[in-house]
Amino acid sequence: MLTKLLLTPHALKMTTLGVALISTAMVAQADEAADYPTKPIQFLVAAGAGGGVDNFARVVRPMFEEALGGARITVINLPSASGALAHQRTANGAPDGHTLDFASTTYVTSLAAGQNPVGLDQITPVARMQSDVMALFVNPQRYPDFESFLEYAQANPGKVTVGGTHTASPDHVSFLSLRDASGLDMSFIPYDSTGNATANVLGNNIDASTTSLSPLLSYIEAGQMMPILVFSDERLADFPDVPTTVEYGWDLTDGNDRAVFVHADTPAPLVQRLEEVLKGIFDSEDYQAYAERVNLTYRDGWMAGDAYRERLEHNYELYSRLLSNEQ
Amino acid sequence: MLENFLGGLAVVMQPLNLLLLTSAVFIGFIGGALPGISGVILVVILLPITYGMDSTTAFMVLTAIYGATVFSGLITAILYRAPGTPEAVMTAFDGYPMTQQGQAGKALGIGVLSSAIGGLVGTIALIIFTPMLATMALRFSSPEYFALAVLGLTVVASLGGRLIYGLIGATLGLFIATIGIDPLTGTSRYTFDNLNLMEGVGLIPMIVGLFAVSEVMKRALDQDTHQPLKKVKVKIFDLPILRKIGPTLTRSSLIGVIIGILPGIGASTAAMVSYSETVRWSKHPEKFGKGAPEGIAAPESANNAAAMGALVPLFALGIPGSGTTAVILGAFIMHGLQPGPMFMMTHSSLIYAVFAGLFIVNFMILLFSKPFITLFTKLLNVPYSALGPIIIMCCIVGTYSVRNSMFDVWLMLGFGVLGYLLEKLKFPLVSIILGLVLGPIAESELRRALSMSQGDLSIFFTRPISASLLAVAALLLAVTIVMPLIKRARLNSATS
Repeated sequence: MLTKLLLTPHALKMTTLGVALISTAMVAQADEAADYPTKPIQFLVAAGAGGGVDNFARVVRPMFEEALGGARITVINLPSASGALAHQRTANGAPDGHTLDFASTTYVTSLAAGQNPVGLDQITPVARMQSDVMALFVNPQRYPDFESFLEYAQANPGKVTVGGTHTASPDHVSFLSLRDASGLDMSFIPYDSTGNATANVLGNNIDASTTSLSPLLSYIEAGQMMPILVFSDERLADFPDVPTTVEYGWDLTDGNDRAVFVHADTPAPLVQRLEEVLKGIFDSEDYQAYAERVNLTYRDGWMAGDAYRERLEHNYELYSRLLSNEQ
Repeated sequence: MLENFLGGLAVVMQPLNLLLLTSAVFIGFIGGALPGISGVILVVILLPITYGMDSTTAFMVLTAIYGATVFSGLITAILYRAPGTPEAVMTAFDGYPMTQQGQAGKALGIGVLSSAIGGLVGTIALIIFTPMLATMALRFSSPEYFALAVLGLTVVASLGGRLIYGLIGATLGLFIATIGIDPLTGTSRYTFDNLNLMEGVGLIPMIVGLFAVSEVMKRALDQDTHQPLKKVKVKIFDLPILRKIGPTLTRSSLIGVIIGILPGIGASTAAMVSYSETVRWSKHPEKFGKGAPEGIAAPESANNAAAMGALVPLFALGIPGSGTTAVILGAFIMHGLQPGPMFMMTHSSLIYAVFAGLFIVNFMILLFSKPFITLFTKLLNVPYSALGPIIIMCCIVGTYSVRNSMFDVWLMLGFGVLGYLLEKLKFPLVSIILGLVLGPIAESELRRALSMSQGDLSIFFTRPISASLLAVAALLLAVTIVMPLIKRARLNSATS
């Protein structure tokens, strides 16, 4: 019956037309990828000027310009609403790869918290380029290691306070996932910045903080703060004595990621092209020197778009569950 | 230490560094004077240029820009009631009335001198006490911040004018501060599902609207009662004035340094608290807001002292004390340096060069501000029909550039209309700003403190610093309420 239908002259014509249309579209897409860029490019930074994501975008910018043989790029910071405006502008723009959204893990945590209306069906990751390791930090005078922290937390349910940046931040979801996996009864105190949380750990006002490793290295060197548990599947070469979450049977390996997103309808060949450009930048000496300088070489930052998308989808479900329990 | 400092001074005195420092001061002057262009934005824009410099020069330049912006916000605040930076809002309250009375030169002179003195006190504190003060600042946690904010808010009772207006204003400020995502629970408050409101109402759109735009509207719509300004002569060293504002300068510089050192609250809060305390301790609180010289000296010495103080936790602990210092911290990281507890030891030559640079910058402010201000006062000869629109345009561009948000521009214009109407009702704008700046500190620190203690209120009274601050606030509040009653009772008994 189906064959019959297809074989009618009219249907045949339509099919041919359809095939022709699809192939022209594919040619056009391939052209689009080859011609890219056809106009000035915008880097939208989903964070304020001067922070980690902003620095990342501004370091990539000249390398990106060079890789494309002289593109014109403007960097625009859109920090409002945890960067949701940057995602919205990317999703509402043309799917032509000329608007790139530089975002951190805050994208998926704010999505899970319902503070960001732009879902993974509207924007898609091109690649992840940085992943800072999350860890549980304490003042070593208070807890020499994770075992002693664990003992105290088990003996004093509800007493332990852990700080980090605002609600639904990467710090906060790390705390929630640790609490969820370990079953410890602890409470989270959100601060305006990592610095304030750190100051309160240093001043013995709170027990610990969950945050990423690289900004706290100098405190670790000075012996004033210590990571006692890292969110990683294997121990870090620089901290061989610090146990990992996986060792305790908790599958929590998320870091604070920085990645590049585009409109979800961007043609696949173009996304491919952008990913190749970013990979080239990532592998370059200049970029690696920068990563080294800001201490982002504890683990491989690179993750290709598809793999990262899967990870984000998984994390979205996890974080949604954790944050909805919280409210 | 002195040796290190002299070493730093030698670095600063190299001709190229001196030239760069001078340019940095001028860039800071311009940026600070334009409403909306703040130190944060300037540092971010100029950061890539510093990649080519060695890190010592780079940080001398960046901190000099930072110091100069905090100073020059006062110029437009005094001349046009358009505070160039949030730190200069309080300066407009008494500075602008002085301009209206034809005393712009005197007001600017007081501002420049107070800034330089505050800045010097701050720099000296920075040089001598950095390691010591930083550890003391760590004893300040949520209960102490809450107590400090409460102390600041109680001044509403001492401000001149009708108390009920002050209370309504402060409440309005507190209300506006609650808009946005609640930082502690992540719940949206009064955002009406509008993404632009999630981050809350920015301080810049609000200040620029309430002060600068409303003033342009007033002069356009109402009878212009301005004294025509023929010639503005800025007099920086004026002995009788200096004698008058001396105690205020001392107190406010100290308040500024202390508040600046506390991580998380910056120069704007310092200016506000020192203004409040000056009003509270003055024998003539009714003169404030109408052109009291102390009303300029207090916020200007405090904000410059605080700007320097905010560098203390940055250098000693790697914890930024304010928005701009947070960006400077980012700049350090981009230069491959990591400020932290060891930074003072590992990079002492860099730090002392920066200290010496800041020291020199305060003298440069004294030296260069006069010609720079003259440029601005020349603008006063431009008819207001031309100048008004230019001010509005600067306000729009400046506000937009903060977050690249057109929404903020509309918000700012809305606040302009609101400010115009409130002033018609003789409403004290100062109380709104007090509520807006101190409200979020009080709210979130109260809740943080209660999470720390698992809901036990005694945390505010068992910690010595918070207990004393709260006791002082209660005492002062009692005095301001009881004193007028006693006076009235005496007056009654005298007449009867």
